[in-house]
Amino acid sequence: MAQPVRIQPDLEFVKELQAVGGESLKKCYQCATCSVACPISPTSNPYPRKEMVWASWGLKDKLLSDVDIWLCHNCGTCSDLCPRGAKPGDLLSALRNMTYARLTQPTVVGKWLSSPQYLPILVAIPAILWAVVWMIMAGVNGSLFPQGDIVFGKLFPGDFTIDPIFMLTFFTAVGILFKGTKNLIASFQPEGRTLMLGKTKHWTLHLVDVILEEVLTHTKFKDCGADKSDRKVGHMILMYSFVILAFVTGVVAVGHWGGKVIPAIEIHTPMPLTFPVKILANIGAVMLLVGLAILTVRRKALDPKKTSSNYYDWYLLGVIWVVAVTGVLSQLFRLAGIAPVAYSVYYVHLVAVWMLFAYLPWSKLGHLVYRTAALTYVRAMGRR
Amino acid sequence: MATKIGVYFDQSSIGGGLDLESLADTVGGKWGDLTPVCKVFPVLADKKARDEIIADIEEEGLDGVLLCGASPRVDWDLYEFEGVLVDRVNLREQGVLSYKNPDGSLPDPEAAPQLLEALVTDYVNMGVVRLQKTTAPDGSPSEGVRRVLVLGGGWTGLTAATNASLAGHEVVLVEKDEVLGGRALGLLKTVPLSHPYTDVHDTGIEKKIAAVQGDANITVYTKAKLAKLSGQPGDFTATIALASGEQEVKVGAVVLATGWQPQDTKVLEPFGYGSLQNVVTAAEFEKLAKNGGITARRVAFILNTALAEPADPYAEVCAEAPAEAPAPAEGEAAAPVVKDHESVRHLPISNAISSVVALKQAGYVCDAFEGGQAFILYDSMVVQGIHERFYKAAQDRLGVMMSKAEIRSITQAADGSLNVLCDKTLIGDDIEINVDMVVLPTGIVPATAKDPIVNFDYRQGPAFPDLELFEGYADSNYICFPYETRRTGVYAAGCVRQPMMLDAAEEDAVGATMKAIQCIESANRGVAVHPRSGDLSYPLFNFVRCTQCKRCTEECPFGALDDDEKGTPKPNPARCRRCGTCMGACPERVISFANYNIDQIGSMIREINVPPDMKKGGPRVVILACENDAYPALDMAALRGKHWSPYVRIIPVRCLGSVNAIWVADAMSKGIDGVMMLGCKYGDDYQCHFVKGSEICKRRKENIAETLNRLGVEPDRVEQYEVAIDEYDKLPGVIEDFMNMILEKGPNPFKGY
Repeated sequence: MAQPVRIQPDLEFVKELQAVGGESLKKCYQCATCSVACPISPTSNPYPRKEMVWASWGLKDKLLSDVDIWLCHNCGTCSDLCPRGAKPGDLLSALRNMTYARLTQPTVVGKWLSSPQYLPILVAIPAILWAVVWMIMAGVNGSLFPQGDIVFGKLFPGDFTIDPIFMLTFFTAVGILFKGTKNLIASFQPEGRTLMLGKTKHWTLHLVDVILEEVLTHTKFKDCGADKSDRKVGHMILMYSFVILAFVTGVVAVGHWGGKVIPAIEIHTPMPLTFPVKILANIGAVMLLVGLAILTVRRKALDPKKTSSNYYDWYLLGVIWVVAVTGVLSQLFRLAGIAPVAYSVYYVHLVAVWMLFAYLPWSKLGHLVYRTAALTYVRAMGRR
Repeated sequence: MATKIGVYFDQSSIGGGLDLESLADTVGGKWGDLTPVCKVFPVLADKKARDEIIADIEEEGLDGVLLCGASPRVDWDLYEFEGVLVDRVNLREQGVLSYKNPDGSLPDPEAAPQLLEALVTDYVNMGVVRLQKTTAPDGSPSEGVRRVLVLGGGWTGLTAATNASLAGHEVVLVEKDEVLGGRALGLLKTVPLSHPYTDVHDTGIEKKIAAVQGDANITVYTKAKLAKLSGQPGDFTATIALASGEQEVKVGAVVLATGWQPQDTKVLEPFGYGSLQNVVTAAEFEKLAKNGGITARRVAFILNTALAEPADPYAEVCAEAPAEAPAPAEGEAAAPVVKDHESVRHLPISNAISSVVALKQAGYVCDAFEGGQAFILYDSMVVQGIHERFYKAAQDRLGVMMSKAEIRSITQAADGSLNVLCDKTLIGDDIEINVDMVVLPTGIVPATAKDPIVNFDYRQGPAFPDLELFEGYADSNYICFPYETRRTGVYAAGCVRQPMMLDAAEEDAVGATMKAIQCIESANRGVAVHPRSGDLSYPLFNFVRCTQCKRCTEECPFGALDDDEKGTPKPNPARCRRCGTCMGACPERVISFANYNIDQIGSMIREINVPPDMKKGGPRVVILACENDAYPALDMAALRGKHWSPYVRIIPVRCLGSVNAIWVADAMSKGIDGVMMLGCKYGDDYQCHFVKGSEICKRRKENIAETLNRLGVEPDRVEQYEVAIDEYDKLPGVIEDFMNMILEKGPNPFKGY
């Protein structure tokens, strides 16, 4: 008999899990229909049957070091087939939410992201930040809305406000994600030494495999058997629109800052609509809206008896919706020449974009990094 | 005794190319005055045919009507004629439909082959002689005491008493304790008994007690026991032992609701019961909860009791041979040995109840403390029927944690807490759970496992027979006859019958009460209660020839026969189920029924026309088929297009237990080449409607075989087969094999003598 594990149920943890999307977890009676039905669960120690009993017993340590929650791509087949309505898919999603909330300091941000009651705080921080910028520039400009052609840089100057603030935010978020990833990988490590047999590859090569074989192609979404929705299409469009918009932002940044050194590559904003970078940016914006629409419609169509959407899901969708809509409207009002509206909408846009980046490590968007890391880890450990 | 029989053929159900008119003439010619009317109706079920039969009865003074057509199992309710004996001859299923030529081919449907004519003629002749040897049974009504005795004043007994009273019957309730209420009194809460079946609630036993105490129709005796029950249904005398002495009460029937007692805790010692602190049984935990004494915040409820059970708890226990009872001194009756049926098996048997009780008690822990933790460690969580809803509700509680688990050990930690070590859990590891208390299941041992309870004043002993087949529960495996106890007039309900919850016990009580009332009503009219409900016939004894051999009294599966000092049987018709086992037992052929007797069946066998040369006319084989399973199975086989040899002649019998050896002798001396006896499965998982019939037949068959062997007849010419009603498809094959064996053996050596 192996060394027995001493069981210390943490009922408070069960309550927390129930609060972040796993409210039905106690309904499980361990028939394992879920593990059998899951199209992508490994054959040895398959999920989510074992996670269900761990959750019901409040075995916090086991759950928080469980890499399998990241293997799940949340197609909902298990929850559809569950004879008890225990929603195992929702539990795994709740466990991921729990990870976002706990993985990195300051965990108070994780707490703010876990419930709609803290939403005012999340909004207030960037709202005040950008309002301060606005008020300073209003003082400089002598009016609340600058005169003449609508150029957002007049109110929120790139060089002195947007770029430094966002660069600081972005690199802080990257730093936190890096720390979070380290914590995450550390939590997966089994106790004692792990002996690897056979050929091994460096983890970076596994990462490349993950990105090429899973992230860019969304193969796991396709394998998620019973999911006949447009989830894969929607998610892929959304992801590639982010890639395009990130690329455009990069080009513009290089053009702007690099232009100060090499004038030939200088890009002036606002760019004319026919400028190739602008065309690409607008393609990205349209894709973003299309992807969002597909995912939102799908989520609204879910049978709440089978799979429910939690606050983490709606928060992320909501923030991206605001980013996309205010981004597009800023441009439209700018082109229409309605200055007060254009500047106000742009202000909201900045607030939303900041929320998207600053809170990324604690929001569902963290899966971008954490899931990739976990998938890399399981490949390195040989769990398929 | 039918002396003027009208024989009627139903053209519509016979067919087969038979010339029925000439058959009618043949029969009429053979029997002469006995059969003044022989007619063929195109459709017997037609009203015109019925009117004509009634007219014939009037005109010819018929006292018997023989209807030849479909099986007697079909339309049996259509053909009743006032004051006239009616019998049927099965020419459809067991005649035309099942017929096949000796070479296996099917006959021309337009022209009946000679063998089919011979078969049908035999059956009609057998039918005529059967009716000739039948008299109308007159029933044997008994006293008719409309009072119900309820044994046990617990949940079940109180329910039974109230229901019997509501049905207009007087009730005598006997309770061994000082107060009414039984084990339900000790319950803090019960598993939910009504919609929505999710939350525990008070039992409501007080209301039941008040209803009984306030009922003028119910006489309650507390601190009382049934010292003796004598007599027969409708006319029992119950001797009740009270603190103040004995009292005799006349009762018509008995509801046995004496409940259960907790299993001896010795079996729980492997779990540390008795040696570790805070290891208790579910019964003790309930008491603790009832007194508000739960102090344990973390409790393990153990349902997997494998640690306490031998590897195979159902294997024969190789116990030391029971000590020889000292031989009674001359003239002194041996005291009946009362066997203790309690065993470790009561633990797994009670699992379905223990499971639900653990769910309930886990709730007590959660109710007692915020953050209370209850671990339920099971091998199989068995939750019956609607209690699934309770299981779901209990499972949904935060502090209730369940897993399949094998218990390895329970040890006491230094601080007095307990460590439960388990493996093979759903959690995936071997686990150790630290708890404040361990609750072990309480095995439900029926009262009848320890004590005769009813104390029958029957020749066959004071206790229920065959209790060892049911681990001491007063149950039976008659799936068709619930509440049965193998003692007519006594019906078991509640945990004395099976481990059950209060809701099932309540339903049981109502059912058993209804059986008790049905029994009283049947006894009053002198008819059988079951399984031959409404049968007016009963065994008649011709004591002139009785040799006091006691075979009938010993073999009666229902203890219906007592005897006097000399051994002369004393029949109690109301205890009797009319199976005829006594008739089959009697070597002197003393016992008979008005409509079923030795001479009758013997005459039917002798009426079979046996060709002297087996090579030319083929062999003849008699099938004695049990009416309950084998006979209907033969009908079903025929209706489903099966066929069998044209050489067999089927005679229905009430039970193989009623088969008397003389019939086999009759058949053999007549020159019949073989006898097949088709009856029910016997043994521990018997299917015999009369418990012992087919088993007794098997024993008698061995004696017959011996006799045949002595006479130079191969003993395997007589064989018994076990047939279940759903095995109709196998029957033609069984007959085929037997016929092949007979054909191989050649003719009965007695043929032609």
